[in-house]
Amino acid sequence: MTKDKNNLPKTEQVDVQQTSTPAEVVTVGESLEVPTLPTKERVSRFLRSQQGWLFVLPALLLMCVFTFYPIVSAFVNSFKQEYDGLTDTFNGWGVDNFVRVLKGDTGTGGASFLQCLTNTMVLTFVSVPLSTFIALFIAVALKSIKPLQKAYQTVLFLPYLTNSLAMGAVFLTFFQVIGTQRQINAGTAQLGMVNDLLVWLGIEPINWIKGIGLESKKDLVWHLGSVDIPWTKYVIMIIYEVWSGLPFKILILFSALQSVNKQYYDAARIDGASRSTILWKITTPLISPMISYLLITGIMGGMKQYSAVVGVFGPQMGTNYDMGTMVGYIYNYLELGQTGYAYAGSLLLFIIIMIITLINLRVSKKRVTY
Amino acid sequence: MEDNVKEISEVTTPQSQAMFDIEKEHKKQKIQGIVKNVFVYAFLTICAVFAFLPFFWMFISSIKTEMEYRDPTGSFFPDKAMWVNYTAVLKQTNNSGASFIQILVNTLIVGFTSTLIGLVIIIITAYALARMNFKGKNLLFSIMLGTMMIPGEMYTITNYITVSPANLGWSNSYTVLIVPFLVSVYYIYLMRNNFMQIPNSLYQAAKVDGLSDMGYLVKVMIPLTAPTLISITLLKFIGTWNSYIWPRLVNLEQWQMITNWVTKGFTDRDGMVYEKMVEMFGAENAVNYGKSETLNTLKMAAVCIVSLPLFVLFIFCRKYIMHGVSKSGTKG
Repeated sequence: MTKDKNNLPKTEQVDVQQTSTPAEVVTVGESLEVPTLPTKERVSRFLRSQQGWLFVLPALLLMCVFTFYPIVSAFVNSFKQEYDGLTDTFNGWGVDNFVRVLKGDTGTGGASFLQCLTNTMVLTFVSVPLSTFIALFIAVALKSIKPLQKAYQTVLFLPYLTNSLAMGAVFLTFFQVIGTQRQINAGTAQLGMVNDLLVWLGIEPINWIKGIGLESKKDLVWHLGSVDIPWTKYVIMIIYEVWSGLPFKILILFSALQSVNKQYYDAARIDGASRSTILWKITTPLISPMISYLLITGIMGGMKQYSAVVGVFGPQMGTNYDMGTMVGYIYNYLELGQTGYAYAGSLLLFIIIMIITLINLRVSKKRVTY
Repeated sequence: MEDNVKEISEVTTPQSQAMFDIEKEHKKQKIQGIVKNVFVYAFLTICAVFAFLPFFWMFISSIKTEMEYRDPTGSFFPDKAMWVNYTAVLKQTNNSGASFIQILVNTLIVGFTSTLIGLVIIIITAYALARMNFKGKNLLFSIMLGTMMIPGEMYTITNYITVSPANLGWSNSYTVLIVPFLVSVYYIYLMRNNFMQIPNSLYQAAKVDGLSDMGYLVKVMIPLTAPTLISITLLKFIGTWNSYIWPRLVNLEQWQMITNWVTKGFTDRDGMVYEKMVEMFGAENAVNYGKSETLNTLKMAAVCIVSLPLFVLFIFCRKYIMHGVSKSGTKG
């Protein structure tokens, strides 16, 4: 830019700071600096000061099309009854979409919203606190050792960067029973690593993926449907999510522990505090801001989970979407061409996330001790 | 004198008693320390095994024969490595005729283009928001930040309609994979904060030296914020590598990305795996699974192929990736 710009910053800054009285500032600036400024010059100077818009224009245009417009249209279109996005046809306005979504009365054989909501809640509110809790223990243990600390750190951080669909396929193999009914009866089927471990421990194997119990390996008879164990699917997902969530949490808590002042520990030891007292009464409160940060981001991420479930249970998310998540629900109806239900589902997801954000804000204000 | 001696002896006895106590206490603490260490190391070892097992298992499974993989007594180390699994997976074409190379090229083109254009947009937007004064800047920035509260799925539905043949007609192209994700508000926010940390005196010094605004951005600000820029580049690229939902929604198989490729079923389509098994173990030991049955070993080989670049990136660029992730709390 030219020399003019060098003179300008002061007046500009005044302009920005005192936005309440912009007219006054402009007149003062004009009368003081150049009383007889030609209109052309004034316009070009104004344009130059607004050059920033040129820089943000590409981002702004893209956001208008792919961010702002979709937000508005989500709020509008979710109230269009029997809405089909691709043909843009609908049948009157109303809350019909929401009622049907919540009632599970969509008439298309797709996922059930309440089932998806339950799955998402169970998976999130078990796996996030659990992995944070384990990560806290690992971080404290990692901090307390000297030899091999780096080696353990490296191995524990390995799952940090993974492809959730690819690793989901690996976790599936741990639990998968491969073989036909006859092979299972004959004892020639592969029961999976976890079942092998159970058999070795003397526990009956389970068909984890289908949620059915198998009778002991001696006379393998598959009780199809007779021993219904619905929680096994959750177990797979929780183990997988704890595994993939741990490295990030360990990293955050480990670096938080390193910034804790050593004097607190010395003082506690002089007072004769035991190790568990130190952990729960000193360490945990001191790093509580980081713990609450992990819980909040973890829960937010957990509410939007989708690809991990697809990685383990496939695009159908179990049998008839019985392991569906809320995001999975939205995509399910989008692919079925029921855009109205997808919009309604996404709005409900938005509301749920908002509620959790508000609760988190309130709780973390009380819990974070400093 | 006697009194004195008595006094001394009386004083020394409890002292030696105390010394003894301290020694005892030391011993007790030492034993406690050892026990503690044993527990800590045992705990960490179990956790490390848990962290590493899936990686080990996917690699071991990928070089097994399908017979060994399905054997009721699972094995941790295969007798002979079936590297042909990898060749078979890489040579395989899917139903619409797209090969692995095609899918890899898709991913690389989309990854490079969207990262490059995305970075330019992030930098100029962040620069304007950090350093330039224009009317409505703060309002614009607040609105942009506000959109971060809204789950991305809400946009996806409308974007799906926007790019559909009825509107923009972008389906089955690279454009549809690149353009909707160019702007990332979080990265703009991150870069803006980085730019704001650079002292204003540098700007004035550059001005005195006759550097233009653009020159200042390129020659001073970008080098100074290089670590964050590298993090953003890596994370954007990893995001493309791991993208699954959007490509599946808008594109046919030959236009999809590498994560979509890994989720499909792999069969012994050309009989290549069977031939190799016959060659290695003899015809009586080899099982022909044919074209219909999905082979788990091939799937694990595909999983290894997709995971390998991430693994390498993590080992060599760990610092930058962690830097970016620890700030955002999300991966890719």
